[in-house]
Amino acid sequence: MTLSTAARPDRRRAGRTAAGEANRLLPRPLLAVLTVGLCALVLVPISYILLASLNTDVGVASGEFWPSTFSGTSYTKIWTTADLSTGILNSVIVCGLVAVASALLGTTTAYVLVRYTFFGRLTILRGLVGLQSIPGTLMLLPVFVLFSSAGNYLGLTVIGTRWGLFVAYLTFALPFSTWVMVTYLRGLPRELEEAARTDGASTLVILFRIVFPLSLPAIVVSGIFAFLLGWNDVLFASVLTRPETQTAAVALQVFGSSQEGGALPVYSQMMAAALICAVPVVLLYLGFQRYLVGGLTAGGVK
Amino acid sequence: MSFRTMRSVVALAGAIAVTAALGGCGGGDDDGGGGSGAGKTLNVLIAANTQYPQEAQAWQKSIADKFKTQTGANITWETFATANEELTKIQTSVVSGSGPDVYAVGTTFTPTAFSTKAFVSLGDEEWKKLGGKDKFIPSSLGISGPDDQNQVGIPWVGRPFVMAYNTDLLKAAGIAKPAATWDELTQHAKQLTKADQYGLAVAYKDNFDPWKFIWQMAVQAGNPIADGKTARITDPTVKKAYQTYFGWMTNDKVVDPAAVGWTNSQAIAAFAKGKTGYMALTSALSAKALDAGAVQGKYAYALLPTVPPGATSRPGNGVEAASILSGDNLLIADYSKNKDLAFQFVKLITDNDAQLELYKSLGQLPANATAAQSLQSDPKLVEVLNAQRKSVATPFTGAWADVQLALTNAVVQSIPDLAKGSITDAQIDSRLATAQKAAQSALDRAK
Amino acid sequence: MTDDGTPFRPAASGSAATLAADRDAAGPEPDRGHRGRRRGVTQQQRPLWLLTPGGVLMTLVILVPLLLASYLSLIDLDQYTLRRWVEAPFIGVQNYVESFESGLLHAVWISVSFSVISTVATVPLGIAAALVTQNPYRGRALVRTVFLIPYVLPSFVVATVWRTMLQPDGIVNALVAKAGGDGGLWLSGPNSYWTLVLVEIWAAWPFIYLLALAALQSVDAEVHEASAIDGASWWPKLWRVILPYLRGPVLLACLLATLNHINNFSLPFVLFGAPAPDDVNVMPMLVYVTSFQSLRFGLSAAMAVVSLILIAIPLFAYLRAVRLDVHEDGGKR
Repeated sequence: MTLSTAARPDRRRAGRTAAGEANRLLPRPLLAVLTVGLCALVLVPISYILLASLNTDVGVASGEFWPSTFSGTSYTKIWTTADLSTGILNSVIVCGLVAVASALLGTTTAYVLVRYTFFGRLTILRGLVGLQSIPGTLMLLPVFVLFSSAGNYLGLTVIGTRWGLFVAYLTFALPFSTWVMVTYLRGLPRELEEAARTDGASTLVILFRIVFPLSLPAIVVSGIFAFLLGWNDVLFASVLTRPETQTAAVALQVFGSSQEGGALPVYSQMMAAALICAVPVVLLYLGFQRYLVGGLTAGGVK
Repeated sequence: MSFRTMRSVVALAGAIAVTAALGGCGGGDDDGGGGSGAGKTLNVLIAANTQYPQEAQAWQKSIADKFKTQTGANITWETFATANEELTKIQTSVVSGSGPDVYAVGTTFTPTAFSTKAFVSLGDEEWKKLGGKDKFIPSSLGISGPDDQNQVGIPWVGRPFVMAYNTDLLKAAGIAKPAATWDELTQHAKQLTKADQYGLAVAYKDNFDPWKFIWQMAVQAGNPIADGKTARITDPTVKKAYQTYFGWMTNDKVVDPAAVGWTNSQAIAAFAKGKTGYMALTSALSAKALDAGAVQGKYAYALLPTVPPGATSRPGNGVEAASILSGDNLLIADYSKNKDLAFQFVKLITDNDAQLELYKSLGQLPANATAAQSLQSDPKLVEVLNAQRKSVATPFTGAWADVQLALTNAVVQSIPDLAKGSITDAQIDSRLATAQKAAQSALDRAK
Repeated sequence: MTDDGTPFRPAASGSAATLAADRDAAGPEPDRGHRGRRRGVTQQQRPLWLLTPGGVLMTLVILVPLLLASYLSLIDLDQYTLRRWVEAPFIGVQNYVESFESGLLHAVWISVSFSVISTVATVPLGIAAALVTQNPYRGRALVRTVFLIPYVLPSFVVATVWRTMLQPDGIVNALVAKAGGDGGLWLSGPNSYWTLVLVEIWAAWPFIYLLALAALQSVDAEVHEASAIDGASWWPKLWRVILPYLRGPVLLACLLATLNHINNFSLPFVLFGAPAPDDVNVMPMLVYVTSFQSLRFGLSAAMAVVSLILIAIPLFAYLRAVRLDVHEDGGKR
């Protein structure tokens, strides 16, 4: 641990000044063009969302791009139209825990799968990918039956609780988190672990003190994916939650609702709510993306 | 070193467990706590209201207070955002035998809910508990069950479908009264289409609108489309219905070409701009949107035509259907452990006072006959209430959802042709054949 | 060539010997943890017990429901029998037969082709974005966040936004008209397929970007310096030295992205509505409509199982071909 932390700041400084040019992957003009191009690709529809959130519901329904009247009322209305604040709070709690837990469990599982050989290893690895291909619509009813049976026969109320949702999302996120860590850990040199092992360290120590810190970029990425899996899921959240435990995605659905027969869907509010719901994720990402840096062990191993 | 790590592992595990346990506090009981009636909670599932969210909350609170005073029990309100979400909720509750006690189900889905046999059948005694069948508008009971002996749905609110028309534009074109037959409607629309104006706003790409036109035109000509166990889609009446419906875009050209992409809300928004003569299919709930547009004060509702296309008067076996029977029914779950409370609750919200309060705060039309009668004095509502009285129920079969889907699918697959500007009879025939096959197989499976 | 091309060869040391010993463990697969301990592994205990938490969760919450779902596919479960589903009549393969007759194969074909095309198109975008945000500069954090946004927004919001923009009189057609062309119908008819591809690409490319970014971090600065000393210009350096590092993670990303596209139903559902135009009747839509609108659970379970099998076969073939799942020293064993 001490080795790499000392090495990292050196690495970064070196990367920017002396060997700065060596690290440059693309020539500057190309870099600029690509950055601007990709940003434009993303931002054009986003600008529509922003403009629509500043429009009125009627205006958006009639298909305006540029609002004929600017109004910020959507941002105040969304909090009463649906229980958005409860939804965001629940989502942050559940998805945050899922992200942490799946990163931990995923790394642990990946470590065993990468560093050790045992009978059935390949089956497990392939099975994990296979699990990814199962459509959610197939699983909805059986999972619900399973959870409600736990309630009916074991007295364990699962449906409608946050931790029921947590268990479901964690399990769905695990195969993916594991695989991300598998691909990452494979590229991790073994020297540090072997050195620690000869020092007499147990597996758990190695995991927590060496593997986790070194694989932070992949952990951050797999954590983000796990977070988003829960954040944007509507299908399972809609049946596994109660009004008190509903997630942001479920609350957001309310804005897209429309009754047959003329009540306008509140599109402007939906866009405003969508932006608001994106804020926690964006903030989290902004906070954690500084761990997405390279140059891990080069100095340390030497 | 290992001691420290073990400690941190245990700490971490402990933290997760505690948080998870804390998180579990959010769950509630499925059914009320045991023991005295006072500690019980009734679980009610209704549609989320985005038009009047604060009024809806206020109404819920007021009902909950009244209920508490009356019975000592609390109410938990659960909401669903879309019809699909509600169907999913019904399915998961039926399969697990636990969930809401009272459901507010759209009339179109009542037959589907009935077919699960998971809801309380209403006999004479049950109706008495609710205040008697006479309490309700007779037509509203039409989709409570397949027949009088097997009813599960208690009418709650009505949402009859009507036309909206621009009073100024009609006056300017010299049209005295809104159209009473489909042919007349086409004719009026032609008169009203000029310059930047269109005669008719139709939502071709809506998932729910198109089949209503087809069914209405067909049933007015004597064909209910699902006739017992037979699907009658490849039938001249249905073909004529599609020809008329498509014709507005292709032959008569009275609709904005962009309408091939419109959902109902876009059509309303277009009508709200004030440059369209008729809005073909809407309900009184659109008033809020229309009042916010340029057409405010210049629109009125009218009955949809009740004479099938191609005729000047209804044939002998034709039904005077001014609208499909549309609204919400209340259903009580058979698995509910609070059936008595549920009946009391339903009686409460279908009584005159609660129904009027519901109308005043949320604009939902009552199914209670007395309440509806008292609203007759409102000029804006006269035609709408008329439509409610003349509503006819769609065939009561578990297969109706599939029949609906088949009819809508025929429109969806025809949209590219509509956009091109013409659709041949042969194409319509082939679409009808596909729909017939799908509908018939669904009806064959119906029990 | 190994699948991650790391330049560092791990010192073989004692691990090779233990690996050889462990590999000799033949016999049935389950109970892996106990097996290791009982065999008396010489130098180190394989901490296979670490696999248990994840294993238990996945077995309980995924495998058991999957078995249940397979059972559901063999019974006549619809709205009429839902209430007493345990007593629903057993009809064996009838659901499967019917699923082939309901256009399932066509739907699977549309799904798979659209997924593959979308994935292939998102790879250059994702890699380019990763390369662009690799080197630090002022405002990079912001750019990285902007790149993430399409993936953060829920599918149905993205679909609603694009549906509005792609209306016959919407902004896209307005811009196309200004450029002198005729946009035509985006949401119905044959073009709807390409609309789905384009919108999916827009929404999903950050997936590849994130995984490529993480992988790029594992490239040491020394590698960059070494190739700089070699005097290589940016393109050969990129192509021959840097990108091979990304091969493993990006291939994984492609695999998972394709699976995600295949199973994504909320995007096409909100974009096109149900019933959908024939050209975009993707498999998850078919399954969803059959299950939740027609309430034919038995049939939709059969459809989902069939599509699962149809997808799993090329999936595993692909896995073996690119050797994503092979151990680092894999070829030797």
